[in-house]
Amino acid sequence: MDLAKLRQDAAALLADGRAGLVIGFRERAGACVPAFVTDADQADALVYDDTCIANLAAYLRKPEIRQRRPVALVARPHVMRSLILLKAEHQLQGDDVLVLAVGDDTYHGVLTLAEAERLLNETYADLATDAQVLAEIERLEQMSPEERARFWSEQFAKCTRCYACRAACPMCYCERCIVEKNVPQWISTAAAGHGNYAWNVIRAFHLAGRCIECGACEAACPQGIPLMLLNALLAREARDQFDARPGYDAEAEPVVGSWNKDDDEGFIR
Amino acid sequence: MKILDASKLSDLADTLAGAGYRVVVPVQDGDRVRYAEWSPGATIRTDAFPVNSAKDFLFPRSEVIDRYQLDGDDFTPLEVRPPAPRTVLLAVRPCDAASLAMLDTIFNWDYEDDLYNARRAATTVVPLVCTRADAQCFCTSVGGAPDSSAGADALLHPADGGSRLILEPLTDKGKALVEAAGGALADGKAAPDAPADVPARFDPDKVRAWLADNFEADLWDLLSYACLGCGACAYACPTCHCFDMQDEATRTESVRLRNWDSCGFALFTKHAGGHNPRPDQAARWRNRVMHKFSYIPERFDLVGCTGCGRCARLCPAGMAMLEACTRIEEEARKAPAHES
Repeated sequence: MDLAKLRQDAAALLADGRAGLVIGFRERAGACVPAFVTDADQADALVYDDTCIANLAAYLRKPEIRQRRPVALVARPHVMRSLILLKAEHQLQGDDVLVLAVGDDTYHGVLTLAEAERLLNETYADLATDAQVLAEIERLEQMSPEERARFWSEQFAKCTRCYACRAACPMCYCERCIVEKNVPQWISTAAAGHGNYAWNVIRAFHLAGRCIECGACEAACPQGIPLMLLNALLAREARDQFDARPGYDAEAEPVVGSWNKDDDEGFIR
Repeated sequence: MKILDASKLSDLADTLAGAGYRVVVPVQDGDRVRYAEWSPGATIRTDAFPVNSAKDFLFPRSEVIDRYQLDGDDFTPLEVRPPAPRTVLLAVRPCDAASLAMLDTIFNWDYEDDLYNARRAATTVVPLVCTRADAQCFCTSVGGAPDSSAGADALLHPADGGSRLILEPLTDKGKALVEAAGGALADGKAAPDAPADVPARFDPDKVRAWLADNFEADLWDLLSYACLGCGACAYACPTCHCFDMQDEATRTESVRLRNWDSCGFALFTKHAGGHNPRPDQAARWRNRVMHKFSYIPERFDLVGCTGCGRCARLCPAGMAMLEACTRIEEEARKAPAHES
């Protein structure tokens, strides 16, 4: 990948004022962490490799970041999908962001959101779910409901309710999350038992047809809860049942939030 | 000298469990290592940093502190007796043991917290000297050491090139533990291994001096851009101790809960009327640094951070206390604090 070109582009965007902030990645003690570049001469700190999995689109909900619009983001195809989806959900205007597009060992240059949408549809139209995740979902589907409930109870027992999953997810932009509503209180606040079960399952439900499977939530979870098993399962259902392909069309209506008279009603009994 | 083979740490755990201790050890759990209650068959891992801290066993993440039975308009308080089992924190990190001085102070400062104190009194602390450190370790910058006995009732020293462990009792609780360990320990000799080399990275007094003058510094924006506002750092932190009270009820029963809380959350300081005195992440992250390196030192003559580095290892956004403090010290060098 042409890292020198990426750095050069980032520096140019800041130097000529096309971007007020470049968000990318830098190396710290052998790890890849988000980098916030405000001056052209700092752009050489930017790096990129396969370990840079944080979804930087999540930063666009921070007011102090939005103040610096237009913001240029280093974005792999999944992150570009997040941006398109944020636009589809009216959280972004087309000229709020620029994309420093990376993918498949290629640097695609600086793209507008519309250009990123075209690139996605032309080159990255079939981003498959991780094979290991699919295999694990199949394994869970073979289980009896009791075994499956036991599996998830053990996983959710680890949850401390730190909400790192929510923080890492660009689509969790609600100003007040359902888990923090208390009039009425929908979800127990105790980091245990049914509260943990309800929190994790409801978050997955709220992402049905909206999760672009970037994996940032699972990577963010300090406890190692396999959140992508839930999200990828719901993504598969939304795709199979409703042809949902979130993040490929900035004009698309969200699956949960739109109604079609031809929708299957067979499940209503 | 009481020694055991390093590979027999699980036998020691078994013996202590048999003697009636709740044995908390670092064990493999999926792809993580965490402090958990020992159960036979678990794999003890002392070579990786646990994701949780020892505070989990003294100050749990959620706890029922009151319970009421409800019947129409009547309610009856029910007795709540939180368990305080005899516990040993075995082979925990010295930075976790050191955090107990901080927690002991906080939970007995203006109010004596019976829940914490009952568990603390029943707990024996046996840290394992670190012979390896990673890039996020900075105990020596905050008054600790990889072979510190702060907060310890007994100390485990790796010896003979990691093949043996020496168990050195330091307090009466430590001596009682050695008694209870009985045959799991042998009398013998072993040469302790050198502790890990953890170079001091910053001076907390210089950080504190800069903080006193720089509540409004622009640096806070820069330092906090990456923060996404979750509680991962606070919940993994051995010294973070903030909690929230919640009442939850069904038709027949109500409980009052004490849950961990974090100053990283936007809701932490949000007032009922809608105003938030910490309106952005810069104000929240500043509080986190201020609390550990200014308010706590001022009030208790302690540093509110033990340099374990968990917050940096776990942060999904790459925030790091070590990096913040070294950056602040750099800033202090550029513009020395006003003499006062």
